[in-house]
Amino acid sequence: MITGRLGTFPTGGRRLGTLAGLIGLSLLLWALTPYFLTVSNLLNVLEQTAINAIIAAGMTFVIISGGIDLSVGSLVALAGVVLALGLQAGWPAPAAIAAALAVGAAFGILSGLSITWGRLPPFIATLGMMSVARGTALLFTDGRPISGFDAGFRSLATGRVLGIPAPVLITIAVYLIAHFVLRRTRFGRYVYAMGGNEEATRLSGVNVRFHKTAVYAVSGLASAVAAVLLTARLNSAQPIAGMMYELDAIAAVVIGGTSLMGGDGAIGGTLIGALIMGVLRNGLNLLGVSSFVQQVVIGLVIVFAVLIDTALKPRKS
Amino acid sequence: MRHARLLLSLAIAAAALPGCNRAPAETSRPRIALVMKTLNNPFFIEMQRGAEQAAKDLNVDLVVQAAERETDVERQMQIVENLIQAKVGAIALTPSGSREVVPAVGKANAANIPVVIVDTRLDAAAAAAAGVKTVAFVGSDNYKGGGLIGEYLVSRSGGKAKVAILEGIPGHETGDSRVRGFRDAIKAAPGVAIVASQPANWERDQGFSVFQNMMQAHADIDTVFACNDIMALGAVEAIAAAGKTGKIRVLGFDAIDDARNAIADGRMAATVAQFPREMGKVAVESAVKALRGETLPADIGVRIGLVTKDNAKEGGAK
Repeated sequence: MITGRLGTFPTGGRRLGTLAGLIGLSLLLWALTPYFLTVSNLLNVLEQTAINAIIAAGMTFVIISGGIDLSVGSLVALAGVVLALGLQAGWPAPAAIAAALAVGAAFGILSGLSITWGRLPPFIATLGMMSVARGTALLFTDGRPISGFDAGFRSLATGRVLGIPAPVLITIAVYLIAHFVLRRTRFGRYVYAMGGNEEATRLSGVNVRFHKTAVYAVSGLASAVAAVLLTARLNSAQPIAGMMYELDAIAAVVIGGTSLMGGDGAIGGTLIGALIMGVLRNGLNLLGVSSFVQQVVIGLVIVFAVLIDTALKPRKS
Repeated sequence: MRHARLLLSLAIAAAALPGCNRAPAETSRPRIALVMKTLNNPFFIEMQRGAEQAAKDLNVDLVVQAAERETDVERQMQIVENLIQAKVGAIALTPSGSREVVPAVGKANAANIPVVIVDTRLDAAAAAAAGVKTVAFVGSDNYKGGGLIGEYLVSRSGGKAKVAILEGIPGHETGDSRVRGFRDAIKAAPGVAIVASQPANWERDQGFSVFQNMMQAHADIDTVFACNDIMALGAVEAIAAAGKTGKIRVLGFDAIDDARNAIADGRMAATVAQFPREMGKVAVESAVKALRGETLPADIGVRIGLVTKDNAKEGGAK
């Protein structure tokens, strides 16, 4: 592990551990049910994981920067509604999608501004945004879902390229971009630095306000991308969609080994974290485990992941 | 740290193990899945009991699944997809969204797994547009049920009332039909006026807060019709908190046990009994018939009835 004053880049070792968790879980399910390890089921799991994985990619930026974003679920609903209203008004799909992405990023920027200029704690700023975005989505639609889109747009969810579902390809693209931005750009380096030691980052001449606001824009944008997939998948945009998705996204991030304290984490871990949750839910369904037990199991996994993370975090001297 | 993550994997394994039933791939007992909206509502628990009884009588395996939240249609779609992967013989489904589950039903169609829709209808236009087929609908006539409660109100109020309506999740066929039935029935009495109508999303706490706000805005409300008993019971609490118990007529829908008790001691006036246990039973029976290739009627009605103080206790309905 390479530790610097301005944050920590985890090396592969830690992620290998999370990966071992995913592989262990998969082997267990393979032993327990004949339906798990089939090509069609594995593609099915990847497809189901896409939405949470994409939201969690944005959430990873926020958490590494030392913040939290509770508004993502509501932003999924709002961006979906904007997209659907655009499509319903006869806009070409790319224009409606661009509008949805713009709205996601814009609401993210608003959260970012209230954190950086308003000096609100991220928890409070995004809690407020969660309600504002949800209310806006309900207002735009009068509370009703908007549904029925053309097949061309829906192919974003239903299409396949070389047998691989489109949402899986979109997720891969999102993670490649996120990985590149976090590890190969100045912005990515600042994200770690702000989470590691915000004051030191500021003193070394980084425009913390600007970059921190950008982090929430990234999260809003990721939520909007997820909204596009969700709307295409359900052939409907619901203003009540995405409730509690923020918790699934945060869970994927922490299971993936990113520290809630900030400054430490990796995007690859988040993908594995999201897959662990997806595989777990899929496996428990295949086994016909009661819905109540499923919630207990998923809760335990999250708690164990964070327990281990906290127990092993090197104490700050 | 490497050990830590291994420990995590073991923890996941240990946590996942206890609730597991090894999928009986080798036996030939048919497996039927019942996918419900939620298990947080006694109505669906009753439905599950009826389904389990039928599965036992018919000697089939039954898998019951539901999303954590009734609003989470995407999760319900995932459950259906996973059950398709698990190659269940037939699926009985109570849609969390009349339009949103249509693609999931389409996937079951593609896998040749018959789907019986229970309690809440699919949106006919969306299903037709997607070319999706279901073998039958099993459920109560919600429009008729809303009508029953509307007629009750007209006869009891002497044709004069100020009514608030607590709706279900907007766009749900079930709630919409109940409201339509109710509105059409009270048209007979011009003195019965609807002063407020808002969604409380089928939830008790929202029924409480939404009705509290309605009472603030309209002090003259003398009747509330909630599209399910859970919201009605929320309204009952709001009425008690305002010290108006007995002054506002509370009408519900579903006749769950708590509502029957509330009617027996006068906190509620009436509700409509559906028979969820029967619904669950008929759903499983229909799914098994579909699996055997029998043709079913497109619409399988389950009886409904009005519950008032006269019959609240004995668990019956008029």
